Amino acid sequence: MAHTFETSSNAGGANHWVRALGRRLIEIPPAYFVLAAVLVAIALLNPNLMKPQVLLTFIRQSAPLGVAVLGQLMVMRARSIDLSIGGVFIITNYLLTSGLLGGQPVAMLVLVPLAVGLVVGLVNGALIALVRASAVIVTLGVSIILTGIVLFMSSGRPPGRVPDELRAIANARIDVVPVPVIIWVVAAIIVAVLLRTLIFGRYLTAIGSNPQAARFSGLPLPRIVVTTHVLSGLLAALGGVMFTAALGVGSVKFGPEIMMNSIAATILGGVTFGSGRGGVAGPFVGVVAFALLFALMTVFGIQEPGKLIVQGTVIAVAAIIYGMRTR
Amino acid sequence: MATLSALLPPPRNSRAGPWYLVLACLVIVVAVVAWSAPLFLTPGNLSNVAAQVTPLVITAIGQTLVIITGGLDLSVGSLISLTTAIIVLDLPGWAMVLLAIAAAVTVGTVNGVGIAFLNVHPIIMTLASMSVVQGVALITRPVPGGTVPGWISGAVNGSLFGLPAALVWIAVAVVIAAFLIYRTRFGLHLFAIGGNPNSALMNGVRVQRNIVLTYILSSLFAMGAGFYLAGRIASGDANVGTVFGLDSITAVALGGTSLSGGVGSLVGTVLGSVLVGVIGNGMNLMNVSAFLQIVIKGALLLAVVSVQRRKQIGL
Repeated sequence: MAHTFETSSNAGGANHWVRALGRRLIEIPPAYFVLAAVLVAIALLNPNLMKPQVLLTFIRQSAPLGVAVLGQLMVMRARSIDLSIGGVFIITNYLLTSGLLGGQPVAMLVLVPLAVGLVVGLVNGALIALVRASAVIVTLGVSIILTGIVLFMSSGRPPGRVPDELRAIANARIDVVPVPVIIWVVAAIIVAVLLRTLIFGRYLTAIGSNPQAARFSGLPLPRIVVTTHVLSGLLAALGGVMFTAALGVGSVKFGPEIMMNSIAATILGGVTFGSGRGGVAGPFVGVVAFALLFALMTVFGIQEPGKLIVQGTVIAVAAIIYGMRTR
Repeated sequence: MATLSALLPPPRNSRAGPWYLVLACLVIVVAVVAWSAPLFLTPGNLSNVAAQVTPLVITAIGQTLVIITGGLDLSVGSLISLTTAIIVLDLPGWAMVLLAIAAAVTVGTVNGVGIAFLNVHPIIMTLASMSVVQGVALITRPVPGGTVPGWISGAVNGSLFGLPAALVWIAVAVVIAAFLIYRTRFGLHLFAIGGNPNSALMNGVRVQRNIVLTYILSSLFAMGAGFYLAGRIASGDANVGTVFGLDSITAVALGGTSLSGGVGSLVGTVLGSVLVGVIGNGMNLMNVSAFLQIVIKGALLLAVVSVQRRKQIGL
């Protein structure tokens, strides 16, 4: 992080190539620098952790977040935001641990939450794109409603346990690679292909760069915004299933954290409102960087408050770097 | 009387937004609640409502300033928590007050500078500071507790001329804000910035400086709410403010203030906050589950923003 700052201030100097290098460096999402710094820190401070198996275990914990981030990045590229991811995670967790779906096959355990995610995405999208309500308020409101519903249904007490089949999938590995990480990578590749090759991806870039121009060029703006929110709802539900399967029990606590982390990783990965830039790789690396950063902090006994401070600082610094670049 | 005329925006002022709608809502809700829960209109319960609603009114007034400029301040909730944590620190009174003010001004300045000078989106900037401030609050006061100085408890729980102190707190906050919004150049500039920042800039409004000032004021109002809340719950609690971030936005939106900036009023915000408070109190009296209340509050927020159709799709 410090490195980026130094270079960008040097960029004001006379040397042309320094300026060019500075510009090139500032183009790279901050996530890569954070990841490099964290890896160096881990290697220096606790080399025992530098084994693929250990690192992959840390990364496995972040696979659900990583899947949700895939949705968040599409939404943010369409100049919207999805703060309801936390709520979707919570209601998914409730559906899977309350016994409502007891005895159902694994396919149903995944499909029902996905259907809920789809509905949430549709509601978000319709209110934002058709009613033109503020995306922040709508998705925050939806998140509150979902959390409230779960609290009401469970009387504030976290429900039971996750069906064993799901737990088994969450803990399985193919060779050394955990299955959740494989699901995450596959989902990321699908989204990347979607953004690169389909017209939908080009539309997103156009809207991100200039929504007015996009609208005057006849792009179906409302439909695209609704689509991104539906995709985000689906991916959040999938992330919620993976999260709950890994957690094993019911809980109502983690919502805000997931929501904040999804935005943090997306911004860290180089996606900001209305720049039209940013791919899947940046936020992917952002999630990995956050996973390892939090793991490192846990190793050093830094508690929740410290993590909140680091998280907020990282978001702010990344956003400031981008803000200065796009001025 | 002078206060009252300062409170109400000039007639036929489109800048004020449809605040009379929330007044109508309030009348209906009060009628319904009073009819179905006879306890509601007792003096004891009404002063209870006033006490409950005061921190929200104060926070929402600060939030109004920010929203009129077209911004949003999500960090007010955690700043309230931090303030209560600072109040129960073992410090002499003046040092504690100075520390609380310093904390509020710092948070407001960082928000404002990030948004106005460094080109960061208000949501991102205040979300980030919300996280940091929450962390600091949790470090300052990991578990709820501590002793609130007697003078704060007295100022919150006492009464003046037979009126509950809560009304005095509300009056002070409203008068300060009414003066700022309706009787100063700064207030006029808030609307200009919210309406169109570029034309405001072209017309000589110091946009960036005013935005920073707005976020500082929002933080200071949140700090005031923190003082009130500490007196009321008689302890420091790093999680007590969390609900106020969203509740304040709900109250402001209910009051007819446009979330895209440039249109808003103080009356609307005060009435909106009271409406949120009355609905909460009414549901308590009718024994509605606290969890169901969360759902209803969320639905109310969605209904309110859905009525305010905007020109553009987006944040």
